[in-house]
Amino acid sequence: MTTQTAQQALAEATNRKDAPSVVDVIAAGKPFPTEVHAEMRNTDAVVDVDQFSLWYGQTRALFEIKLEIPRQGVTALIGPSGCGKSTLLRSINRLNDLVDSVRTDGQMLLNGSPVYAPDVDVIELRKRLGMVFQKPNPFPMSIFENVVYPLRIDGENRRGLLMEACERALKAAALWDEVKDRLKHSALRLSGGQQQRLCIARAIVADPEVLLLDEPCSALDPLSTLRIEELITEISQRYTVIMVTHNMQQAARVSQATAFMYLGRLVEFGPTQSIFQTPHLDETEQYVSGRFG
Amino acid sequence: MSDVTQTTQATPAQTTVHRRTPFSARGEPRVWLMAMAVVVCLALIVGIIGLIVVRGSATFWQGPIDEVRLQDGSVFLGVPSVTETYQPQPDELERIEQARADGQLDNAHAFTKTGEPVRRRYFVGNRDLGQESFRWVPLWEVASIEQPKDVVLVERDEWGPFLGRVRTLRAVTDEDPNPTGQEFKPESVSDRELQSAIDTMEARRAAIARIDRTQIPRLQNQLRQLEWKLKAAHLNQERRAASADAPPAWLWWGAMVGCIVAVGGVLGLRKAVRHTNSGSRVPVAILACLLLATGSLAYLWLERPGSHKGMSDDQVTQIEQQVEAERNAILNEQSGLLTQLDDLREEDNRYRIIIEEPSLGRISPVSRSAPDDPMRLSQVVRIVPANDLSFSGRIGVYLSRWWEFLSTNPREGATAGGVYPVIVGTVTLTVLLTISVVPLGVIAALYLREYAKQGVVTSIIRIAINNLAGVPSIVYGMFGLGFFCYTLGGYIDEGPTEPTPVGSWWGLVGVLFLAILIAGACGLFVRRSGDRLPDSASRLISIGATVGWLVAVVLAFWAISSTPYFHGFFEAKLPEQTTFGGRGILWASLTLALLTLPVVIVATEEAIAAVPGSMREGSYGCGASKWQTIRKIVLPSAMPGILTGAILAMARGAGEVAPLMLVGAVNLAPALPVSTDAPFLHGDRTFMHLGFHIYTLGFQSPDSEATAPLVWTTTLLLITIVLLLNLIAIIVRARLRSRMATSAV
Ligand SMILES: Nc1ncnc2c1ncn2[C@@H]1O[C@H](COP(=O)(O)OP(=O)(O)OP(=O)(O)O)[C@@H](O)[C@H]1O
Ligand SMILES: [Mg+2]
Repeated sequence: MTTQTAQQALAEATNRKDAPSVVDVIAAGKPFPTEVHAEMRNTDAVVDVDQFSLWYGQTRALFEIKLEIPRQGVTALIGPSGCGKSTLLRSINRLNDLVDSVRTDGQMLLNGSPVYAPDVDVIELRKRLGMVFQKPNPFPMSIFENVVYPLRIDGENRRGLLMEACERALKAAALWDEVKDRLKHSALRLSGGQQQRLCIARAIVADPEVLLLDEPCSALDPLSTLRIEELITEISQRYTVIMVTHNMQQAARVSQATAFMYLGRLVEFGPTQSIFQTPHLDETEQYVSGRFG
Repeated sequence: MSDVTQTTQATPAQTTVHRRTPFSARGEPRVWLMAMAVVVCLALIVGIIGLIVVRGSATFWQGPIDEVRLQDGSVFLGVPSVTETYQPQPDELERIEQARADGQLDNAHAFTKTGEPVRRRYFVGNRDLGQESFRWVPLWEVASIEQPKDVVLVERDEWGPFLGRVRTLRAVTDEDPNPTGQEFKPESVSDRELQSAIDTMEARRAAIARIDRTQIPRLQNQLRQLEWKLKAAHLNQERRAASADAPPAWLWWGAMVGCIVAVGGVLGLRKAVRHTNSGSRVPVAILACLLLATGSLAYLWLERPGSHKGMSDDQVTQIEQQVEAERNAILNEQSGLLTQLDDLREEDNRYRIIIEEPSLGRISPVSRSAPDDPMRLSQVVRIVPANDLSFSGRIGVYLSRWWEFLSTNPREGATAGGVYPVIVGTVTLTVLLTISVVPLGVIAALYLREYAKQGVVTSIIRIAINNLAGVPSIVYGMFGLGFFCYTLGGYIDEGPTEPTPVGSWWGLVGVLFLAILIAGACGLFVRRSGDRLPDSASRLISIGATVGWLVAVVLAFWAISSTPYFHGFFEAKLPEQTTFGGRGILWASLTLALLTLPVVIVATEEAIAAVPGSMREGSYGCGASKWQTIRKIVLPSAMPGILTGAILAMARGAGEVAPLMLVGAVNLAPALPVSTDAPFLHGDRTFMHLGFHIYTLGFQSPDSEATAPLVWTTTLLLITIVLLLNLIAIIVRARLRSRMATSAV
């Protein structure tokens, strides 16, 4: 089955002009085969999304997503607003469980262990992932307590250890120099860019397996954006990063792989370079060049 | 692009839309109206507060004393208060005419310009001489008013102030008990000898009070405790005699079997778990076995063969001897104290002061029944030479009266003296109320907002809570009296009135455990199975869980309220004296807590709902559990709102009087609810409360006209205390808020 769809896709790719457009296929309600570039097949997947669907009550937000996120480096999720990027990201750490009416289907594996199985301990699962949100959300406590929050809730109270972890995370998040003299101050008084870097520090303090970033720069000025982009590049040496972004340049600059989503489907997935320069599908090309979506 | 611009430019020329602003759109008249409404509100508030502050703080100010000579030759002393016109009776009118005809009306102030007569109210005191505290004097009757420097106002233990002149101070000696003794006439009130005599007397009076009010009551209390100890021992002796009948043997064995089965179950299940990955149901099974095992073990322990209830005769004899010894020691000490007290009193009795009032030359008596015996010097609280005071002296008197008011015990059936115990009672009550209502309300609000499934039931509960806030407070008082004082307090005092027999009681406990197990299992099953079950089945299971918990709660209440193992903590004091089974500050504060619960719940719910979802998500994203998120993120963020609720609850609770009259406030409490004796906070004691004290002063005192100024002062005090308590909470809240303040992102 899988090979067949891949062949079909290949046929469509070589013969683009005659194939019906993605929009038409989706509008007709037909199952849509994801265009996965050859480089992205059979990689060592950290997050393996397998035919994953998600409903908010009656409305379906994700349609049989199949996506293998490669180890190390940054994978960018792009697509027009409302296409389900955040939903997909939040499905990986099951943050969507907090919404009452959510129903899921399909499977997802994080480093080989299932994410959606009845006996999965959601809290343990979330401890393996770090997440940064669109809007900086520091907690109403000191900078220090913010950074070590994930360790605190694990019951870690040894001061020296916490201090060390805090320093390491803040340095990794390029915030240490700015706040090292006021770790005891309230985190809410930091500037927006600093707050976002603080959130990144908090997300990496407990050494997550994967870092999930949901438009981490959208509330920031260009300079802060630049710093955070550099930061992401640096962090991605050690962690696998999945990042949602609306900024094409950012995706091009930072990521190694890019997935293009549209109306709850994963449309095309490939190395960033080829997605931006030689995409297989017209829609992808139009989207990345800003003429669609 | 360009033709678009053209069309927009062309439009105004074609259609003539005439835009105007109607008068109703301009808000000025309404703004004026609203401003007027605000001004009226402000005026009312400022008016009431100003009135209370002015009247309340004027009470202790000492004005001069007038010596008034009337035209018929009589003389009296009085402190003038109100002057007003009045409508004379016909016969008085005649007398006025008569006087006018005689040309005696030379007092220019006796009539207004329109010819109405004027009268003045004088505070004349000297109530033990058989006169009213106040006297209205028509000014036309007055021949002269003087303010002689030697008249004084003497504040006394009893019967209110006495107005007169200090004549002599004398010490009655043994040889010559009655009239003269050492005698001297003080030159003035500031006479050194008089002052030093008063000081000595003060010390002696303090010593008497210490023995009489503190030491002897403490000994008597100890004696009573001993008696109760003895009585408890005897009760226990009887209980032992009655408890000879052993429980049914089958139950004993049943419990044994249950225990073994339970332990076996635990072990077996643990083994099974290692092989099959049955996951979440194991904790339930283990919990079940543990519960059963604990229950059975408790039974085995409590009903073990030959277990002893009550006390053996030997133990009782031992206690009897011990009590006897302690009683003798206490009685010894008491008789020592009593002799000491007698000596002090005798000495005290010797020093007398003669204060004479001018009208009939009578003196201030030692008691009402002995009008010719001069009062003891120790009965004097303060001698105020009202006409011989400089301004700073007046301020000194004013401040010392305030200090006395705030720091001493009430006198004369709580209509005079200080309000110290009243303040302590009010503050203790409010603090107790706050620390019991806030946790309860916060927990309730947390559950409602965070855990309960939002739906019809939660809406109904919310509506019910909001309506509770509107129930008249006296209803809470009745509930508090019926439930807290009599039911709960009675249970604490003497245990269940009709305990279930041991055998059936353990049966009840067994059923209770079963209900808990079923409910717990249902709950876990429904949560873990997710959507793998058909809807109807999962609904059935969740109903099972709910019903199971309800049954468990009912059974638990039943079991606790009818346990045969509890005989109350204060059984021995009954029926002589109730401890918690009567009115007291603990029950009063719980009643008020109930009354103010809706306020706290509503405020907390709002505060919790206002915590941004992004913060919760951030916490969950870090791998925090729900409880950790609530405790570390939601509650701290909601703290200012919760404190607002606490402030509102405090303000409402501290001002409440009606329910307190039912559950514990009294005119005159024998002891403070807090003390330096263990257990420091005496929840069983009755207490005094400022709100109730206002009522007492205003409506229960024999001379309510004289206490009216005190009503104002007490009101001022109540408002101040509520304000101070609120201020503390407000400061804490402000600090929290400033810590929470966000930077401009
Ligand atoms: N809690 C929710 N309840 C119901 N529908 C939701 C919920 N959250 C998201 N949706 C819907 O799911 C779809 C996908 O939303 P999602 O937030 O994933 O989009 P997105 O790609 O992240 O968009 P954006 O780029 O604007 O953030 C949208 O149609 C949205 O309306
Ligand atoms: Mg989004």
